[in-house]
Amino acid sequence: MHIPDGYLGPATCVVGYVVMLPFWATAVKKVKETLQTRLIPLMVIGAAFSFVLMMFNVPIPDGTTAHAVGSSLLAIILGPWAAMICVTIALAIQALLFGDGGITAFGFNCFNMAVVIPFSAYFIYRLIAGNSEATSAKRWIGGLVGGYIGINLAAMCAGIEFGLQPLIYGGPVYCPYTIAQAVPAMLFAHLTVAGPVEAIVAALVIRYFQVSDPSLFLVGAASKVQATVKEGFNKLWYIIIALIVLTPIGLLAPGGAWGEWGADEIKNKFGFIPQGMAALRDHWHALLQDYGIPGWGGDNPAFWQSAFGYIISAVVGIAIIVGLTYLFSRLVAAREAADKS
Amino acid sequence: MADYQMPEWLLESQGPLPSFNGTRKVRRGFLEKTIDGFSQIMIDDFFAERIAGSRGLMQGLHPGIKVITTLLLIVMAVCLRTWPVLLLLNLWVLLLVYMSNIGLSNFLKRVWLVVPLFAGIIILPSLFNVVRPGDPLLVLLHFSGQHRFGPWVFPDTLAITRQGVRAGIIFVLRVGACVSLSVLLTLTTRWPALLKGLSMIRIPSLFTKILEMTYRYIYVLLQSASDMFLARKSRTVGRTNTKEQQQFVGSALGALWTRAFALSEEVHAAMIARGFNGIPRTLSSFKIEGLDWFWTGFTVLVSILLLWGDSIVGWR
Repeated sequence: MHIPDGYLGPATCVVGYVVMLPFWATAVKKVKETLQTRLIPLMVIGAAFSFVLMMFNVPIPDGTTAHAVGSSLLAIILGPWAAMICVTIALAIQALLFGDGGITAFGFNCFNMAVVIPFSAYFIYRLIAGNSEATSAKRWIGGLVGGYIGINLAAMCAGIEFGLQPLIYGGPVYCPYTIAQAVPAMLFAHLTVAGPVEAIVAALVIRYFQVSDPSLFLVGAASKVQATVKEGFNKLWYIIIALIVLTPIGLLAPGGAWGEWGADEIKNKFGFIPQGMAALRDHWHALLQDYGIPGWGGDNPAFWQSAFGYIISAVVGIAIIVGLTYLFSRLVAAREAADKS
Repeated sequence: MADYQMPEWLLESQGPLPSFNGTRKVRRGFLEKTIDGFSQIMIDDFFAERIAGSRGLMQGLHPGIKVITTLLLIVMAVCLRTWPVLLLLNLWVLLLVYMSNIGLSNFLKRVWLVVPLFAGIIILPSLFNVVRPGDPLLVLLHFSGQHRFGPWVFPDTLAITRQGVRAGIIFVLRVGACVSLSVLLTLTTRWPALLKGLSMIRIPSLFTKILEMTYRYIYVLLQSASDMFLARKSRTVGRTNTKEQQQFVGSALGALWTRAFALSEEVHAAMIARGFNGIPRTLSSFKIEGLDWFWTGFTVLVSILLLWGDSIVGWR
């Protein structure tokens, strides 16, 4: 489920961050506004718990093991908004420290695992559990169904994100599979293995709480954390709905990725080229002479001449990069030595 | 601080614990895997701490500048689409690794043993014409004719395609470059320094503060969970079935949450006692020198050169 760097193209990654921004911004704003001092240590411990939970190997019947994401369980214990913050933090530590999940793909990783799973799982859990007794079987059944559906919805989202890549970039430049290939592949793995694992973990932990101390899995409600976090998040729904409506339009737009147009495409789209851009293009061409050596080969260079030009440029470029890298390592060493003395 | 080092013997792996089943090889169960996973996290952290404390090119740079330039290079790597340029980028990153006094063989093991395995498995099906049509490079099988199942069409031969191989190489090289860059960043930067770098790119201090504290409590919870699994392992003598094992995992998680929640109450009390009023504050002292600005300029230059090279190779 953790998408590494390089699977999704640059425009898709930007979309991922844009989708997540309102969630993060609202979370920060609300946490600051409520001034609930209890909230920060709870988020900290929740995030650490989420990280450790993802490390647990859950045994599955064929004798091997699998990992759970655990966002559904956290959503049931702390409420979906708090779970969103905790899982985001856990994913950030995994991406930054342990290389699990990419930095450019962080937006969509958060969307899949910190938004889709907690919110869908929580909604289904509430739907089934309702206002039943804390010890009611409806509670753990709600966790079971919520966890299963939640992770499969997330897997479907990941499949769609993968499947859009060949559409957006016109071929196998990034993840090469079409939606018809990526979505069934992701869903198969999650319907059969990862889904049951997520569901069983949520259900078993709820059962444990019901037996040991039923008040425990109502932590969020009990400490009013859930209420304070939830309050005022309502406006966000409008933004989310707008984004959900707009996102596919942007992703499926024909032609180049949005914002990556060349000058000609901009001319087609807007009917003119912004003046600054036209000037830049002229300079660019004057400087690089269509990527040959300036003043060599005339206006129509022969193939070998331009090829030779590229090779020379490449060799010079590489030499400069290696030379400067070496220079920097000497300078840094000198500075470190100076700091030491 | 730079002289702080883990003793060599603590970092050595001890090899598997002796098995009592004689010669028969036993598959590791979920207990062993989880305990190993927990200790691997700690080993990795000690390893990174040792490298971050040593001297080298990347260690000497300002952490904020390093975070920003590494992010820039990763974004650039994601934009690259041709194999020669991606190969160049990878070689340059290896040069940076060498200049940062990280053992090359160790780095290669961390990145280039893992990436081709995972990215390779993902990309493997796309090499075949069954999944993505293309010019056959190597025909493996001949079928009786075309078949059609709903949206999927199967051609009459099974072959590895030229386009598939090309896309696969580009894919693995790009993922490798991204992973190399982020591993290089995390190995050469201490966690507090990395967080200062993040706060420089306008990540809200609330997030960086929570990240900082979470990092600390992860190890508390890891130790707690590890003890639980070890206690269970030392009491396990017979065979157990999957259901019972899953029950244990569920109970362990429940118990862990009980402890974690109690811990959060204690941490809260301790924070209140020290005057916490809901707004996290960080001490920050940045000193960016000329050298760091030159490095920023240099990485921008490298990015432009590589993107330019990419456009030349890609368009002809």
